[in-house]
Amino acid sequence: MPASPVDMSRYILGRILQLVPVLWLISTIIFVVMHMLPGDPAELMLAGAEGGAITPERLAELKREMGLDDPLLVQYLRFLANAAVGDLGDSVRFRLPVAELIADRFGSTFALSLCGLAISVAVGVPLGMVGAMRQNSAADTLTMALSYVGASMPVYWLGLLLILFFSFNLGWFPPAGADDWRSLVLPSTTIGLVAAGLIARLVRSSMIEVLREDYIRTGHAKGLSAAAVLWRHGLKNAMIPVITMIGLQFGGMLAGAVVTETVFSRPGVGRLVVNAILAKDYPLVQGCVIFLALVYLSVNLLVDIAYAWLDPRIRYGR
Amino acid sequence: MATFPAELNEAEAEPVRRAPSVLSRFLRSRSAVAGTVMLGAWVFVALAAPLLAPYDPTETVALARRPPTAAHWFGTDLLGRDLFSRVLFGSRISLQLGLISVALGALPGIALGLVAGYHAGLVDTLVSRFVDALLAFPSILLALVVIAALGPSIQNVMIAVGVASVPQYARLVRGSVLAIKQLPYVEAARVIGAPSLRVMWRHVLVNAYAPVLVLSTLQIGNAILVGSGLSFLGLGAQPPIPEWGLMSAEGREVLQRAWWISTFPGLAILSVVVASNLLGDGMRSAFDPKMRM
Repeated sequence: MPASPVDMSRYILGRILQLVPVLWLISTIIFVVMHMLPGDPAELMLAGAEGGAITPERLAELKREMGLDDPLLVQYLRFLANAAVGDLGDSVRFRLPVAELIADRFGSTFALSLCGLAISVAVGVPLGMVGAMRQNSAADTLTMALSYVGASMPVYWLGLLLILFFSFNLGWFPPAGADDWRSLVLPSTTIGLVAAGLIARLVRSSMIEVLREDYIRTGHAKGLSAAAVLWRHGLKNAMIPVITMIGLQFGGMLAGAVVTETVFSRPGVGRLVVNAILAKDYPLVQGCVIFLALVYLSVNLLVDIAYAWLDPRIRYGR
Repeated sequence: MATFPAELNEAEAEPVRRAPSVLSRFLRSRSAVAGTVMLGAWVFVALAAPLLAPYDPTETVALARRPPTAAHWFGTDLLGRDLFSRVLFGSRISLQLGLISVALGALPGIALGLVAGYHAGLVDTLVSRFVDALLAFPSILLALVVIAALGPSIQNVMIAVGVASVPQYARLVRGSVLAIKQLPYVEAARVIGAPSLRVMWRHVLVNAYAPVLVLSTLQIGNAILVGSGLSFLGLGAQPPIPEWGLMSAEGREVLQRAWWISTFPGLAILSVVVASNLLGDGMRSAFDPKMRM
């Protein structure tokens, strides 16, 4: 049933409003955790981010710049007010606005996640379908074993194996960097294959359930070809839970690009946050994590909207 | 299949089929048995590492970056340490990481879920909103925030991974408690005036153990995966600890010339995580195939 624009608008508005308290709570948790650090945060940041000797002048300057002398409540309210308008503070190490640093790198992380998602769907959906159609056969056992291994594999290890084989042995793709499309192949294959394992398992179980439905039997009974039944009725219905999973995977890839970007030395938001933690650049850590959480929540919101559009029962809260 | 003894039955009575017990369903599941054997083998390796390892895992015993040979089955690392011995000792770190972080996540998570599910109303609303906010947040980010605050170390990784799993336990237990507290025996316990804590502990929690046990088993593998990933990034175990993620990272720079340094520790992680997932899935099928995590 096509959704009426009024219903959909009301649903979307409601979901966006639900996002506000979640974002506030997440930002507050991050703020509290980052301010529980033992010792003087300004000294820690200077020692970590800038290295060398800490001069009293630079310490005082940093405290003034970041308002660290103010009471915690004042700092918290200022942090919330600034974050609400997209001001995530300045990085101690780069001496640049955090939002600017993230904006420079987000394109790379987004491209990586999008290609990873495409690979996970291209590999996971057919594997799951084979498993469902040939249930308990040797092909099913093999595809499920593969998906099991994929889902249990450390991402960085798979990345290293791909570098070893496709970069060092075959010389097909560069092992690091983000210069052209070739440098995107191995990192996106890495995150794509790990996610494909989960997608394959879900497609298989969802498809097995759908294939037992009466309308599938009806399709066969009225003489449709096996392929038509599978494509037109089976896959379409089995994909509804899979779409949710794919959306979650995409959000997870954007937020979890941390490891892959480090393995392949890609300049993305994930690598930025790891380097910020190692350099004790707390405003940058805080800003990156809030940004990644916002992206993750936004992707989930889009998935929910797509889902509500596909299935009106969700829109009406039934 | 069990039947009543003939003398207790009427002549025409049908043999009675009993539903297979949880244990027999567990033993019939190939994945559960395979997971148990694999995980059991790793536990044995962890306990007997000093007896099984041919060399000290932190001492230089040969030339650096030697490929696998009869003397050094997995080769040697950047400092000439025996990689096989380091992988064996690494199982101690990883299994500890899995078990301790599961405990650190499960205990507060169970308590939160129990309180929220048992006491409806404001307590439930507050706890549930808090848990929902944490669940709307990828666990790797939560772990990174904790590491950023506490600093990189293997102990802090255990805390970070544990904290990141608290909301999953809370949600799972809350759901089970909501269902169980409606059952007649819980109502009866409340009617006869048993104190809340006693009812929660003796009647509600003991009956919600199955999904918690399954989640914990699956979570052991996940904790090892996330924890070793943090160590790989330099945010967890620090040298010279023989931690598998850190060992893989050490081999990264010399991957082309010494593939074995990163490969064997990664293979060890893969086998432990597969074992924990097989065991967890097998337990889920044995308890209730429709159980949702």
